[in-house]
Parts: sequence; C-alpha cells; structure tokens
Amino acid sequence: MQHRIPVETLGKEGEVMAHAIEACVHCGFCLPTCPTYVVLQEEMDSPRGRIFLMKEVLEGNLPLEEALPYLDRCLACQACVTACPSGVPYGELIAAFRLHTEEKRHRYPLERAFRLALLRTLPHPERFRPLAALGVGLKPLLKPLPLPKALRAPLELLPERLPKEAPYPEVYPAKGERKARVGLLLGCAQRVLRPSINEATLRVLQENGVEVVLLREQACCGALNLHAGDKEGARALARQNLKAFREVEYVVTNAAGCGSGMKEYPLLFLGEPEEEEARRLAAKVKDLTVILEALGFTPPPPPPRPLRVAYHDACHLAHAQGVREAPRRLLKAAGVEVLEPKEWELCCGSAGTYNLFQPEIAAALGQRKAANLKATGAELVVTGNIGCLTQIQAHLDLPVLHTAELLALLYAGKDPLLETLA
Amino acid sequence: MAGVRPERVAEVQEAVRLHPRLRPRGGGTKPALSTPREGEVALDLSGLRGILAYEPEEFVFTAYAGTPLQEVEEALKAHGQYLPFHPPLAGRGATLGGTVAAGLSGPLRARYGGVRDFLLGVRFVDGEGRLVRGGGQVVKNAAGFPFHRLMVGALGAFGVMVELSFKVFPRPQATRTLRVEMESLEAALEALERLRLLPLDLLALDLVPPGRLEIRLGGFPESLRSRLERLQALLGREGEVLEEDEAHWEAVRDLAFLEESPIWAKVPAGLALIPRLEGLPLGPRRYLDGGEVLYAGLDGEGLEALRREGLPYLVLKGAEDPLFPPPPAPFFHRLKEALDPRSRFPLG
Amino acid sequence: MGFLEELRALFPPGRLLTKEAELAPYESDALTAYRKRPLAVVLPQRKEEVVEAVRLCHRHGVPFVARGSGTSLSGGSLPVEGGLVIALNRMNRILRLDPKARIAVVEPGVVNLEVSRAAAPYGLYYAPDPSSQPISTIGGNVAFNSGGAHCLKYGMTANHVLGLEVVTPEGEVVRLGGEGLEGVGPDLHGFFVGTEGLLGVALEVTLRLLPKPEAYHTLLAAYGSLEAAGETVSRILRQGLLPGAIEIMDRLAIEAAEAAVKAGYPRAEALLIVELEGPREEVAEEARVLEALIRESGAQEVRVARDEAERQAIWKGRKAAFSAVGRLSPDYIVQDGVVPRSRLAEALREIGRLSQAYGLRVANVFHAGDGNLHPLVLYDGKKPGELERAEALAGEILRLCIQLGGSLTGEHGIGVEKKAYMPEMFAKEDLEAMERVKRALDPKGLANRGKVLPEVAHGRG
Repeated sequence: MQHRIPVETLGKEGEVMAHAIEACVHCGFCLPTCPTYVVLQEEMDSPRGRIFLMKEVLEGNLPLEEALPYLDRCLACQACVTACPSGVPYGELIAAFRLHTEEKRHRYPLERAFRLALLRTLPHPERFRPLAALGVGLKPLLKPLPLPKALRAPLELLPERLPKEAPYPEVYPAKGERKARVGLLLGCAQRVLRPSINEATLRVLQENGVEVVLLREQACCGALNLHAGDKEGARALARQNLKAFREVEYVVTNAAGCGSGMKEYPLLFLGEPEEEEARRLAAKVKDLTVILEALGFTPPPPPPRPLRVAYHDACHLAHAQGVREAPRRLLKAAGVEVLEPKEWELCCGSAGTYNLFQPEIAAALGQRKAANLKATGAELVVTGNIGCLTQIQAHLDLPVLHTAELLALLYAGKDPLLETLA
Repeated sequence: MAGVRPERVAEVQEAVRLHPRLRPRGGGTKPALSTPREGEVALDLSGLRGILAYEPEEFVFTAYAGTPLQEVEEALKAHGQYLPFHPPLAGRGATLGGTVAAGLSGPLRARYGGVRDFLLGVRFVDGEGRLVRGGGQVVKNAAGFPFHRLMVGALGAFGVMVELSFKVFPRPQATRTLRVEMESLEAALEALERLRLLPLDLLALDLVPPGRLEIRLGGFPESLRSRLERLQALLGREGEVLEEDEAHWEAVRDLAFLEESPIWAKVPAGLALIPRLEGLPLGPRRYLDGGEVLYAGLDGEGLEALRREGLPYLVLKGAEDPLFPPPPAPFFHRLKEALDPRSRFPLG
Repeated sequence: MGFLEELRALFPPGRLLTKEAELAPYESDALTAYRKRPLAVVLPQRKEEVVEAVRLCHRHGVPFVARGSGTSLSGGSLPVEGGLVIALNRMNRILRLDPKARIAVVEPGVVNLEVSRAAAPYGLYYAPDPSSQPISTIGGNVAFNSGGAHCLKYGMTANHVLGLEVVTPEGEVVRLGGEGLEGVGPDLHGFFVGTEGLLGVALEVTLRLLPKPEAYHTLLAAYGSLEAAGETVSRILRQGLLPGAIEIMDRLAIEAAEAAVKAGYPRAEALLIVELEGPREEVAEEARVLEALIRESGAQEVRVARDEAERQAIWKGRKAAFSAVGRLSPDYIVQDGVVPRSRLAEALREIGRLSQAYGLRVANVFHAGDGNLHPLVLYDGKKPGELERAEALAGEILRLCIQLGGSLTGEHGIGVEKKAYMPEMFAKEDLEAMERVKRALDPKGLANRGKVLPEVAHGRG
C-alpha cells in the first residue's frame, strides 16, 4: 500500500512501521483469523483496518487519540501474520507503534495508575505474590459485590488458592548422559500463579538429559511492558536478561509470550548499542517443546489408560514463533491422542493483560475457545502458555494443563486424569 | 394472420419498428408460447438460422437464434460434444431461441445444469429495434449487465433474440441406464433423496410416478460397469439395465409421453412438493433431475388444480395463458419499461 | 430531520459510524489505488434495517454502497464520497440449510467458505471458490458474479444462486427466483447476479449445494515455458477430458507463492495444476488418460497428490499467489481479462512483449481451463511515473483480451477500475440498454453510483 509516512523523522522504528505498511496489499486474508474482527465484524477492528489507521496517524492525517480505541483492542496475537500472504510483519508494526506512541497519548489518572501498578507489579514476583495472595484471600468476600469491571476481571482469573513456590537449586542436573546445558526463563506471573509449570519443566528437561542452570540474576522477559508501550521498563528488564543469559547455550522458555517477547529484543533495542547482543540472545531462545525435539525426545511411559487431549495453540507460540507441530509430536510420542479444535488460529482472549483491559471481548473469545475445545470430546486440554491456561480454565469445565505438566505426570507414571481431578 | 419471416438481423429490427405487437416463433414446438394472440403479428425466426462460429476446443459455439437444435447437435456430435442441458423437443424441430425463451432443459440437466447454466451471450433486438448485446463468447465473463440470463424463461418479453452463444461439453463416451421399480411413491422418494446426496455424477435421475426410477450413467466404458453395480447395491435391487439407451432418452426429451394429452406443462417441483403434486389430477408425467422439475400432460381440470394450489407452471401447448404466476410486478415491469417501453413483445 | 439524524434514529451508536477513525478503514477495498471518504457507515443486523437504510437514502437522495468484506479487486465496494456505506458483515447467519432440497438460505454477510463448512456434514458443498473464499461474502459474490478455479465445469456464482430477496434502490423489497433448480418466467435472479450492486442490495440468498466429489486426482506439472504448459491444456481438452480445474502459474508467481506459503513447488518457468474429480472409477480412468498425455507433454517434473494434505498444499500456493506478489513488489495491479482458450499462447506472448516494452515485470497466474488471465503488473508507486506506466500496460492487456474476442473481466467485475474500458468491449446500444435498466430501477442513481457504467455511453463503433 502506498503511504506518505515521513520515515526520515521517525528513526529506526519508522522504517520498521513503514516497511510493514508498504507490504500490506489490503487483500483481507487476515480478517477471518482476527479475534476482534470475528467478534465485532467491523473494519477498524481488523488487522487491515488497524494498519490503515496506523498509516493515517503516522502520516499525520488522523489524531492518535481517535485511532487508539481500535488499536488498543488489538490482542497482538499475530494470527494475522500466519494468515498474511504478503508477509506483513504485523507483530513488529503494532509493537513499534505502541512504543512510538505511548508517550504521546493521553491517559486518565485512574487508568494511568492502574496500568502503572500492573507494569510495576506483574513482572516482579516478589511484588506480585503478596498482592495475588491478598486477592485470593478476599475473593470469596468480594465476589458477590457489584465490582467495577477493572477489578472484577483480574479477580476472576485468580485461582482458588495460591500454591507455594519451592526454592530452586542453582543447577538442576541431567538424568543420564548430558545432552545440553541450558538456562530456563522462570517468568513472572507464572511463578506466582502456577509454580508447578516450572517444576514440571525442570523434571521434563532432566528426563531428557538436559542440565538446567537457574540464573538468579534473570528478570521477567519484559514482554508485558513492551506490548504496553513501556519502552524503558521493558529495556531495563531485557538488559538484565541479556546479561544473565550471556553464557548459556540455549534459553528455554515455557511460556509462549515470554519466548516471543525475548525474540523481540532486537526490535526493542533497534539502533541502540545492545541491538547486536539482543539478536544473539533472541537466536538462542527456544520453546521447551522445540528444544526437546531438537535434542531427541525420550518419551515417558505411555499413560496408564488412553487419554484424549485437545491441544490449544497459544498465539505467541503458533503465530509469533511458528511452533505448532513440535508440541503435537511430543504429545503423540508420549502416547496421547491429540484432538484438534475448530478455529485453532483464534486467540482465547488472554493475550497478556488483555483480559484485564478489554474484559468483554476477552470473555467472548474465552467462551468461544472453550466451546471449540469442549466440542473435540477431549478429556483434558493442554497448552503452552500460562495466560491461555488461566483464561481457558475460567471458561471451561475440563482440566487445563501446561504441556510440561502433562509430560511430567507421565514421567512420574501417574494418571493425569486422576491427578487433575484431585 | 399476418406474419413476417426475416432472414437477416436488420430485417428483425425493421419488423420490430414496424409492428406494434409481435409474437416471436422458432420451430413452433411450443404453440402455447408462439401462437400470435389477437392483434399480434407472428415473427417467424426460422429463417434466421445457422451456426456462426464453433471452435470445438473452446467448448463454445455461436449461432442464430432460429437454428434448430438438431442442426446444432449434429455439428457438436461430429466433434464428440453435446449440449449438456439437453434441450427438450429437439426431435420435433425446436430452436435455440425458443428453448431459451421458454427456459427448458431436459433429463440430462441432472449432470451439469440447465439452459441458464450454459448460455454465455446474446444479441437481441429490443422493443425499439435496437440491437443489444449481453454476455460474451467465452466461458467466463463478468462484464456488464448479463442480458443473456434475462432472456432465459422470459418468453421473449424483453426482446427478440437473434444470436446466442453457448458453452458445450465433451459427450460421455458411453452410457447405460438402470430402471428400477420401487414399491411405492414413498419408497421412490426416499431413494431419490439418498441418491441426490451422493457424488454419483448421474447423467439423469428421473422419477416416473408412482415408483419407477430411471437412472442414466455416462463416462468411460471401463468404469460404467462398476458404477452401475454400486448403484444397484445402493438401491438394493438389480433393476433392468438398458445397454442401448439413446433412443429411449431421445423419446423422453421429445416429451413423447405427453403425446395424448391436450395440455403440456412444465411444473417446478422438488422432493418436498412431489407428494402434493401427486395428489392432483395430472395425466402422464415424469419428474426430471432428482425431482426438481415435472413435465406433465393434463387437461383443463389439472391446470385449474395447479392454479388453485398456487403452484407455478408454464404451459407449452394447449392453453391461452401459459405462465402462472406472472413475473414479480415492480422489478419485472421496470425492466420491461427499460427494454420494451411500448410493450411490443409478450408479457406486456 | 436531516439524513444523519434519521440514521441515528435507526441505528444505535455502535452501529452507526461517523468518526474519522471509524470511516478511514472503509475508504478502500482491495484496490487501494482508489479512496473515497463516506459520510457514514452503518452496520445493520437484520434485513429490515438494510431496507430502512436504503429507503432513507432514497428519500434524501444520498448514494449508498453495500459492502461485504471489501475484497473487490476492481474497486467495486469503493464508497461514494459523502455517501452511505452499508456494511453487511454482521448479517452473517446461515438461515436454513436443507440437505433434502440441497440448498442453503443465507444472509448476504455470510463468508463463502462458511457455507461449505456448514454443508460438509451432509456431504454437500458450495461450488464457487474465488481465491478470496475464506474472506469474501456471498453478498459480494452475488454482486460480482464471482468465479474461481472451477468455472469451466461448474459455472460462476450466477449458476449457483437459485433465489434472492432484494431491496431495490427505491426501497421496494422483491423476491426473485425460488428454491429449486427450475423455475418458470424470466430468470430475474440470474440477471441480478453480476450487476455489481447497481440494481439493489441482496438481503437473502438461496444457494444451490452440490454433493462433494468422491475422489480427486490433483496433478502438478512443471514446464520449461508458458507455451508448453498452455499447449498441454489444449491437448487435455481436445482429448475430451473435463477437469474440475486447470491452473497455470509462471515463474514470478511461483516464486511469490513459495515465499508466502512454502508450497514446495518445483522451480520452473511454468506450473500446471490439473484436478480431476468425480466418482472414483471414473477419475481413475480419466487419470490414466491424463497421465499418458502429460508424459508426452515434455513436463520437466510431475507430481500427483497422494492424499488430501498434499492436495491442499498444491492449492495453497495457488490461492495465495495474488497477495503473495506483495512480497516481490511494493505495488501491483491485478488484471482479470479473458481470452478464448485457443488464443492463450498468443495472449501470453503478447503480454511478455508488452512487459518488456514497458520495462515492468508481469507475473501470470491464470485459470487456463476458461481462458481467464490474471496478469499482475508489478511496479513501485514511489518511483515517479511508474504507476501511470503500470496502468497503461494493464490497459493494453485489457485491449488485447477484447481484440482476441474475450472479455474485460472474468470474475473481478468492472467496478471503478475498468469502467473506462467498457466502450471498447460494448457498443453504444449495449451500454445505453444498461443505462436504461439502471435508470428504470434507480432513477436517482443512488445504488453504487459511479461503478460499471462509463460516464458517457459513447460506446464502440
């Protein structure tokens, strides 16, 4: 598409955005896979429409504030990237646009405070844990009250009880011959809400001959800040990780959003001294399922009885990282029957903090996803991302596990259905 | 009764400008449509005949509207092709134009579709004597208003067709027909419903009520036997197999089974409607294309019954007022005003 | 009351769009070279609302454009400056699917592919398959008489529409056609299909469904030249075969498709895709004939899809080819001319010559079975004069199609893009007849104003 964006004045980010806009031919192939378009059926809430809006803003034809309601509704799930025949890097475009415009936009004091509070607490487990514990404690009391939406949504996503996170050893040794030595990104909210995912990940890596070093200096990946347009916050976290993971061969991630977040470091440091190092790190980042396949998967003993599992594609694995087959192959190798839901490409509505800021659309998507998963006839659902897991669980009456959790149960010779019922 | 018989397109235009009321006629095989009414001049198009262009490899031909179907089909047959919509009354002298104007298709429409699906383009003379083109001479075309489709079934209301282009297909190398007798109408309808949902690529699927099904297969001689056996298994009966079936189907499409009836009518049907139609006083009849359309012989009582039931029909022979119901008023009349403002043509 | 106030009374806030940011994304369809800012966009949810909107436009003399997914490549859903856009996307219900009658009754905003999805449990499908099938709506398909890869054998949208409920530009609601394959009286629904929204808006569409073919045989053959691929097509048809689809792509298009979807196509000057379909015994016989013929055709490489996944892989590259060309060039014009099939080779040679003469690359993707060419003229709009050169080249290609006895458009429609060429294909009398029809049904000229009909109907000769 033709544009008149003053690229010269917008710096490196300007080039990224202009390139993406140029590549769009307005064909509309993105429409049916865009979650907000599917729900709202209007052009402004489609990737094609948003690209047009961003172009208008960048060209100076449209005030930023007018375009924001629609741009804010984007989940950045990148389903459109998978669907796009012309290769528009939409993920980079929306991330760069949010970074570029955050300081220019107006936010109401309350909104600003809420947003800031989130960005200051969620990425830091030591701050988030007490807050979450408070929420869990108050949940039964608050639930019947007519709460404002901004409070109700996060409350509903909290679990009934907050499990304890056991301390991690410095090094988690491999079982048998050591095939690799990797760093594991522990994540932020995941550590608080569901520490069993990291525990399971360590167990699965161990079973597969992988030694894991748990680098204390690591931080949250910063994706939350990056996608909220908080460039400095994101950079501060990313710098910590650049340093922490400098020496390891691979960085294993077990949350889709963290993996794709770290792969976006080069964009975050575009034109900065750290850009090169960010590229090197991004190349080392691998999802758990990818590394297991690459190193040669040692399957667990088959499940004690046949198990029908629906696999949910987390957007930041499937669309942002292009990882769809590896987890399926692992599950099949583990002797599990893998069922495919309809509309696999459609986001579940979690999308980082999306379900906190856009609860109505998120709920519509969550219900739709849950119905599609249920319709497969599965006994349990497996996915590779804590956000999806929490969101789907809120709408579905089947157990939802992380891929690592299911595999770890199988390595332990347990019956996943009995375990999840308990 | 005065009449004109143009032999060139310009003469058609002249005739239209000259006469206030006209009734086009091709082969005269559907007299209910082509017989001039009071005050009308017969416009005999049988002189405007001949194939203008035919490239077998294109699967397309263009001919004058007055060209008899038989002439066209002979030319096609020489190149292993045919008119897949299987125009009725070919053996009685029906023409291309008359077939389009009446909107008629025969039993073999079951395979690929009816006359509306094979007409690609038209040149017609409108009510002011102007020569107008719609569509084209290629199998795929989306340019301009599709006047050619407007001609189908319009009984000449919008203009006098002078030239028509059609898509044609390769003729099946071999054919077979399976005839089975079901014990009742219900059983026959049940079988029809099943067959219609299966990808059997039947050339024809006719119901002769109450219970006879006639099914025609076409294709490679090598594959016909096994396809026929599958069909027999599906129906759970051997039936009767016609190895030489061409003459039979020619007689069917010439509507030989209506010979004794005073009124010949085409009645849009469909599986859901057949039981209702079967309760009416109709004469000899046959449902084509899985029950989609009925050709029936009837008398005045039968016609009256159809009208009373509000069932649409087109009479080909034996009635003064052939079309029921009349076309949808506002839309049709606007079009008519645009193309035939002086109401020179039928359906004024 | 003014027009907008009355609209406000009809549509609640979220369904009447008037702000700049709401209107901007509706300014273009898939032909972004044209942009027009509408006065407002409405999002009706029921047909009564469409009717009311049209009546209101008629009372106030405001032009309107009905819009589906905005995938028109001819600018067919381009808004009228200051007019109303009626976006039908929320009217996306399949109202009835009757397997016994083999029909589906749908609202105009239903996406083409959804019809086949809904029909699949009954073994049925909706045959027309434009490349935009996962996105484009039935309403848009009806307006433009959309085609696809299977038109030689199965026809276009018009052949699969059995009935329509339509609101005329004056606000009258009429039912055209019915629910069966055969009707009596003029084929008014057949006429409505392809009139590009100039004669009204479809409110409800009755579609014909077909049994899904039992077996497919999908073959991919690579050739050293476009001519060789084209010659093979002629031989296939001379042999009396009637494949469901015959497609050709040239080197540039292959490259683009590879880059986009990694279809695994062989590198070649031309690729031919042939798909046979039907009962398995019949397909087996046809496949024998086809393979013998391909063996002797000088193909460099031949692949036959062994399963549905391989078949889909072959098609995926072809269906993505248009948009994929966006990877090779910042801008391009998609053309949609038709030539008689026997003139294909001639047309391609001439397009190659024109491409050289204009110094612009042209990628070719086409439905070879029905002579429908899709030359994609690649250009860079940032280079001065290049757009004009590309348009001139595209125009020459259209003229070429007309000279060879073909058509300006096989399936994309005339829209705004090709209306200037109408007088080269149609005579004055033809265009005047279209105008008279338009005036009779739309005396104020409100429905999709500015499309199809050239400003002056001077016509050819």
